[in-house]
Amino acid sequence: MKRRDFIINSSLASGMLFVPSFLQAFEKIPKNKLGHKKLVVIQLSGGNDGLNTVIPYNNDIYYRKRPKLAIPKKELLRLNGDVGLPNYMSPLKNLYDKGYVSIINNVGYPNPVRSHFRSADIWQTATDANEYKSTGWIGNYIDAYKLESHMAIDVDNKLSLALKGKDKSGIAAFDPKLLHRNASDPFLKKIANKHHLDEHLNEENLGYLYKQMIQAESSATYIHEKSKTYKSNTKYNSNSFEKQLATTATYINSHLETKVYYVSMGGFDTHVSQPYKHKRLMSVLSNGLENFVNDLKQNDTFKDTLIMVFSEFGRRVEENAGMGTDHGAANNLFVLTENLKKPGIYNNTPNLANLDNNGDIKYEVDFRQVYSTVLEKWLEADPKKILGKSFENLNFI
Amino acid sequence: MKNHHLIHLYNRVGFGILPKEVQKLNKLSTEENVKLLFKKSKKRKSIKVDVSSIEKVGLSIEDKNERRKLQQKENRRLLNKLNVKWFDQLYTSETLLHDKMRLFWANHFVCSSNSTIQTIEYLSVIEKHALGNFKDFVVAISKNPMMIRYLNNQQNKKKHPNENYARELMELFTLGVGNYTEKDIKESARAFTGWFSSKNGFTFKSKFHDFESKTFLGKTGDFDGTDIINIILEQEQCSLFISEKIYKEFVNPKPNQKHIKKMAKVFRKNYEIADLMKFVLTADWFYDDENIGVKIKSPVELLVSIHNVIPYEFKRERYFQYLQFNLGQKLLYPPNVAGWPGDKQWIDANTIMLRLKLASSIAQQKQIELEPESAFEDDFETINKRKKNKAYFIFTTLDWQAFDYKTIGTKNKDWQDALLGTKLNKQTQEIINPLINNSTKDFCIAIMSIPEYQMC
Repeated sequence: MKRRDFIINSSLASGMLFVPSFLQAFEKIPKNKLGHKKLVVIQLSGGNDGLNTVIPYNNDIYYRKRPKLAIPKKELLRLNGDVGLPNYMSPLKNLYDKGYVSIINNVGYPNPVRSHFRSADIWQTATDANEYKSTGWIGNYIDAYKLESHMAIDVDNKLSLALKGKDKSGIAAFDPKLLHRNASDPFLKKIANKHHLDEHLNEENLGYLYKQMIQAESSATYIHEKSKTYKSNTKYNSNSFEKQLATTATYINSHLETKVYYVSMGGFDTHVSQPYKHKRLMSVLSNGLENFVNDLKQNDTFKDTLIMVFSEFGRRVEENAGMGTDHGAANNLFVLTENLKKPGIYNNTPNLANLDNNGDIKYEVDFRQVYSTVLEKWLEADPKKILGKSFENLNFI
Repeated sequence: MKNHHLIHLYNRVGFGILPKEVQKLNKLSTEENVKLLFKKSKKRKSIKVDVSSIEKVGLSIEDKNERRKLQQKENRRLLNKLNVKWFDQLYTSETLLHDKMRLFWANHFVCSSNSTIQTIEYLSVIEKHALGNFKDFVVAISKNPMMIRYLNNQQNKKKHPNENYARELMELFTLGVGNYTEKDIKESARAFTGWFSSKNGFTFKSKFHDFESKTFLGKTGDFDGTDIINIILEQEQCSLFISEKIYKEFVNPKPNQKHIKKMAKVFRKNYEIADLMKFVLTADWFYDDENIGVKIKSPVELLVSIHNVIPYEFKRERYFQYLQFNLGQKLLYPPNVAGWPGDKQWIDANTIMLRLKLASSIAQQKQIELEPESAFEDDFETINKRKKNKAYFIFTTLDWQAFDYKTIGTKNKDWQDALLGTKLNKQTQEIINPLINNSTKDFCIAIMSIPEYQMC
């Protein structure tokens, strides 16, 4: 290969990494090129017990290792000849029966970390287990395509690491009215207006502050103006998780141009009293999902929305002495949308006869394969540019 | 010393300076002012809380797990108390240089734990060496029980080495990535085998130590951990790595290699941290215009600098914890071993809104909505309750008397200069000008609300 060819190819492969910043403005991607599809990420914080969510009811090892916690066969809603959901998850079963759910088993990463903080960070930053990054995968997406903050919304008051980029980030918008009020302080507006396109904007850090301030104001105004008239007909329950989903549905059904929504639900660290706690969690989760999907369906937006539900790790196969389970490794992950390529159980259920040294489920699918698939096939983005390297795509959408 | 140089010095080696102090200290030369900072820092104070309650918690409870849970809860309470103690120390500090160095090193040798006792011990190591000898510091950190547990050296045994500590020692603490090989990590990990933490602190377990020969950074011998640290510090790179980090924190987030090389040369002589800092703070280039007002304040710097102007107190400690969490920096709770990346990473659309409204919200006792902080261990009902309880006021009590006292004999213009450190551009100055005849209180709140106040 000629040296010139090599240079051209490698600069193409590395994308915009080596383009000087003053030229990057030319690379701004027209929004319609990013498609019209939406992604909703739901993070279950604390480590969901995937094995008591999707139960391998023909597996003796499951019943042997969980004499107290195993869900009996007769209390199951069977999904196929191998697995079922506990009967308190009937709302999710309804969605499953309509072909809206795909369950991907054994999702994780090499050298799994069992610390909540670290593992949640690994999922949010899409890194290897021994790599530390201060930007998240959705933040990288916003950065790579130079999108405005409101293109990725954390339905919360504080922005998650997942949505933090290097130069640009998403925005946390739990209550659009309040956000708008906070962002449109008259004094700050006066300063921001005076500075528009001012020389200050070129100054390294101070310019960055001004840009962020102006961006916050314009994104907050956009979200508020666009969503304030919409009224949903769906009746949601009054817990904080459904409140987040109701707000997300409002945003989607108001046709915000936002591409990614981030929702989180906590309480999954079930070391003790798991039967009661997990039942409550699963009811809230599946009720919430059903209400959310119905809300979207009524507005014909479900077909363009993909929901992904994950947790930072699964839990140990063997139950502990306190009617609970300890931190584990690989876990199942749910994706929901109207037209799945492969609804149902996507791949092999966990092999409980072949666990790792800690007695945890081994991973077969790297979580970044799921991200890569979603980025490329759903958001029409370049996964390599966002994840830093290539991962083999899956086939659920 | 010129006023704006003095203000710059106190922005970096402190949390700003008030007009009265400017009037007093501008009579000293740069050298005298730097000397004064060093002198004052000798009377450093420890950050600690009474931990006797941990032992007493749940004594009557039979169940071991239950008791442990209660002790964990007590630890969480005490760690939050320790966090507040740290702030109290910063609010009333007479030892600014030492305090800034303590914050710097705690974000360099990053470590965290849910044990209050270990955290206090760790903080005392940071305190002792913050302006001391870097070699002694690295050795002391390598033998610190909390660090040994945090980076898994407890699992580092002969024939089954755990490389975590050796890797971070080089990557994050001394050399920086790319200045050693994977082989160097493997070999040095063997040298740290048997460096354990026990109930009584550091312990060397010879049974688990690998006494065989190791080859590390080109040298061969039956090295132990201290030998490895000695070899690392012989590398020019180590002095460059630390100098660059100091430069980015105290001088300019954009490194200037010419200045950093000069710093490294001074530092290498004997690795005395005080010598390095003295060199930096008295260097001409430290006071160059290009280095003034170019750093984004950390949340801690922002909170303390506001407090220096208007002393506030949170009526409920929990809200103060939430506030730190929402600003993205809660002391004693670093994100990971790499610490807070700082600078631009402090800022996103949400934190900038919160930061800009912070001074006025505190001063006017306005309401701010904060995301309640939840632990991974919290159950759904607890989180749900906290999230639903939506209106999170910042309940503060303010000491206006103290403020008024500070304003005696000062003009509003003096406050603008002291609080901002740099000249405003024309447009912003035009917005500020009509306010110049307002009360000093209102004027200061306005100054603390403009984006320039976020810089130091």
